[in-house]
Amino acid sequence: MSPITLIKCTINGVELEVKQGKTIIEAMSENAQRIAHYCWHPGLSIAGVCRLCMVEIEGNPRVQIACNTVITEGMKINNTSAKVRDAVKWGLDFHLINHPLDCPVCDQAGECGLQDQYMEYGKYDPEMAERKQRKRKVVDLGPTIVLDSERCILCSRCVRFTSEITKTHELGIFSRGDHSEIGTHDGKPLDNKYSLNTVDICPVGALTSKDFRFKQRVWYLKDADTICNGCSTGCNTKVYFNKEGVFRVKPRVNMEVNGHWMCDEGRDTYKFVNKEVRLLKGQKFANGTWQAEMHAGAAVKDAHLALSQASGDSIAVVLTGQHTVEEYEAIVSTFNDKFKTKNVFHWVNNKESFESFDGLLLRGDKNPNTKGLLDVLAKHGISSQWKNLEEGLKSGKITHLVVFGPENLPVFPDLQQNLNIFATAKNLIYFTSAAIPQLKNHASSNQITLIPLKTYVEKDGTFVNFQGKAQSFKRATTIVSEALTGVEAAQLLAGSEIRIKQVTEKQLFTSAHERKDQVQLEHRKKNEFVFNRGRL
Amino acid sequence: MATVNETKSNQQTSETKYLSEFYHLPEFKGIDGYKKNGGYVDLEKALKMQPQQIIDEVKASGLRGRGGAGFSTGMKWGFLPKNDEPRYLLCNADEGEPGTFKDRMMMEKAPHQLIEAMIISGYAINSKKSYIYVRGEYDESINTLTTAIQEAYKAGYLGKNILGSGFDHDMDVYRGAGAYICGEETGMISSLEGLKGQPKLKPPFPAVQGYLRKPTIVNNVETLAVVKYIIRDGAAAYKKYGTEKSTGTKLFSLSGNIIKPGNFEVPLGYPLKDMVYILGGGFKPGRKLKAVIPGGSSAPVLTAEEAEKATLDYECLAEMGTMLGSGAIIVIDDSACMVECLANLMHFYHHESCGQCTPCREGTGWLDKIVHSILSGKGRMQDIELLIKIADNMKGKTICALADAAALPVLSFVTKFRDEFEYFVREGKSKVKGVAYVADHTH
Repeated sequence: MSPITLIKCTINGVELEVKQGKTIIEAMSENAQRIAHYCWHPGLSIAGVCRLCMVEIEGNPRVQIACNTVITEGMKINNTSAKVRDAVKWGLDFHLINHPLDCPVCDQAGECGLQDQYMEYGKYDPEMAERKQRKRKVVDLGPTIVLDSERCILCSRCVRFTSEITKTHELGIFSRGDHSEIGTHDGKPLDNKYSLNTVDICPVGALTSKDFRFKQRVWYLKDADTICNGCSTGCNTKVYFNKEGVFRVKPRVNMEVNGHWMCDEGRDTYKFVNKEVRLLKGQKFANGTWQAEMHAGAAVKDAHLALSQASGDSIAVVLTGQHTVEEYEAIVSTFNDKFKTKNVFHWVNNKESFESFDGLLLRGDKNPNTKGLLDVLAKHGISSQWKNLEEGLKSGKITHLVVFGPENLPVFPDLQQNLNIFATAKNLIYFTSAAIPQLKNHASSNQITLIPLKTYVEKDGTFVNFQGKAQSFKRATTIVSEALTGVEAAQLLAGSEIRIKQVTEKQLFTSAHERKDQVQLEHRKKNEFVFNRGRL
Repeated sequence: MATVNETKSNQQTSETKYLSEFYHLPEFKGIDGYKKNGGYVDLEKALKMQPQQIIDEVKASGLRGRGGAGFSTGMKWGFLPKNDEPRYLLCNADEGEPGTFKDRMMMEKAPHQLIEAMIISGYAINSKKSYIYVRGEYDESINTLTTAIQEAYKAGYLGKNILGSGFDHDMDVYRGAGAYICGEETGMISSLEGLKGQPKLKPPFPAVQGYLRKPTIVNNVETLAVVKYIIRDGAAAYKKYGTEKSTGTKLFSLSGNIIKPGNFEVPLGYPLKDMVYILGGGFKPGRKLKAVIPGGSSAPVLTAEEAEKATLDYECLAEMGTMLGSGAIIVIDDSACMVECLANLMHFYHHESCGQCTPCREGTGWLDKIVHSILSGKGRMQDIELLIKIADNMKGKTICALADAAALPVLSFVTKFRDEFEYFVREGKSKVKGVAYVADHTH
């Protein structure tokens, strides 16, 4: 490999050293310089069609596009001169003349490239007095996406995505000139496992996600960084949430893990964190009936008492690859040291497809932290076989079974089967974030305790992905305040007196990201638009 | 040098038939008739030369591209990388510039002239494969070329080891599908590759990365044909025609409100007024010159006064703010309404914009709509200024020159004939024709 040559250039008066071969727009975005652009995307090829990333280069009388101009030694570049600003303003105006300007009913409003650039370069009275171009509205492109052709600015990002990243080639630009429209070929809808990335990269409201559209205005959402728990790839993601729950997941850039993208499956991982599908309270099944719901703390205390009476190998623990390294550590050491049992079992879902990989991001191992679990088990010298659990339960050797169940139920096809096995334990203590009616309907003479767990967006922790890369993340929000993290559960089971910070209804869903001037949801629900801006 | 130029641009009342010497002979179309009149002699001569010698000769001749841009052909060839990478020669016969019909005549009357010149050019740039991309509507050209290529193969001028020289060359005709933009060299390459006919982002330029990402040279029919004659007569002899910087002869397509429209070959530097009044036979009785579009519809228009002074060479027309372009001279007499003329042009560019770059995609439509609302008597006074502003901001802002091609006529029509536009807006009818037009312009 040839050594990397650095060359000097000046961008907006700032002297920079950049790698040879970099384009102006790359250098600018890497050095936090603002430049308007629509068609350029760091993860896609250069199209050079939006003509917005205009820069002035000393010695060149014409403004140039930054995306297709490679920096040369000593180049002096600026994008703040009146000439450039005027060029961008006109570039923007050409984008807007046929745009329907339907921001009030557009889902992209608030995160729209046209709005952003208009605030920066526009703010003029429109001069377009002619009739606008009419195009197709509400076009069903496939199972996940709806297209509004009139809003489309034909930046071709989505087309390049399907031809360069997924290589599925569903999208194309049809017709010519200002009749041009994005579309799919007959009988071949936009239906691939990464389709929703096109919505992310669409700078305007042309492509909207069927799942997310009209659910929330984006300015009512906060976002927080996290790691996807959909599979062992461990894509870096962002969750968008408010007091009503989590509404969507989008990828964050991490060139070592997921690049710019994430799969559609991973975007569904918000669906099992919301209240509707969660176990909210602790509950016990004893003497043939389900008792009244109880506080999680009380339930776990009961569990502690039950476990204290059992001894050593009559206790077993089942773990899935869905929890954090910190939780595994706490749980495994608690059971090793306190309860003196090495019966820690790894619940492996869909064994057959565990090693499969689609070549892009999707992995067959649908757990974010299988590697982390195996590491912790190995560290504690545990090598239990699943069949030992089944045998132990059958023979009655194992009487007390503690299960930390999965969050993401759909990827556990063997859920029902295993629940049946677990329920044969004399005393089953089942920690779960998901409500599992399968177990609730289970009739048995044994004792079952259900205790709510927190999901990945509600706790700090670390996932180790398939590469062995440990990725830590922070709590994004709290949805079920009573639910426990695995660490808290382990401590409580061991009998420690810990203070679990109680979150009041009012504190629930608060986040460090909250803005003071946020429109209050209660007001919005009542159709009162009150802005808490403080003194004006 | 000035004296040489003066003697060159003497009063010449007939054509200088250099390329078109034998075009009147029907037999020139077939290989036998062509060979009888000096055909394929120069190929033999060229194959005995070193390829670099041919390139040097073309460079020395001062030949400039005849398709529109007027770029030095020898220099273009010089951009090719000096290695053994396969490379392609493409002949641009997608003659779509409104007003231009010279390539068609060349292909129909003398297909072998083009083929011979292309084999010579292919030899010079070491290309083993060439394509002639012909405008889809040119049935006759496609048929004659296809027949002629077959004849050339049979005679051993194409294929393996041409005339025992060890040089192989294959040639094919590719039929365009009717898009103006495919006449732009990278648009043509896209089309030839089977993609949508959209120009490609430059750099890389075709000479470095063109057809199938290999080095490619794209030349106009007339440009390539000239190469044969440069080999025949030598650069020095060729330079005797034309002016110092615009050498050689050129075929001009004369059309519009004149008595004798047609293709005329004259040396560059020929006075435009002679072209109109002598070769073109002037105007109908009672009519007089109002304007001339000198180089195809994209060239800025010249007023009658300017046209009287203009000479047909690259420099003079560039000095006058217009261009020689493809050599399509559209003559407009005083019966024409300039607003209507511009509306016609705008309709064309609106229809032909490929739609890639936003300023062109949206701008051509916008211009078209504004000019048509003026034409239907519904224009606003600020529209005239707006036309200029839009055109100004489309110019030089796109991947290819189509936006410029649409903007330049707007700027020249509106500035040079502003009174007609203002009259139309003020009175709601044409200054020349006294009527407005029903708005049937539905897009």
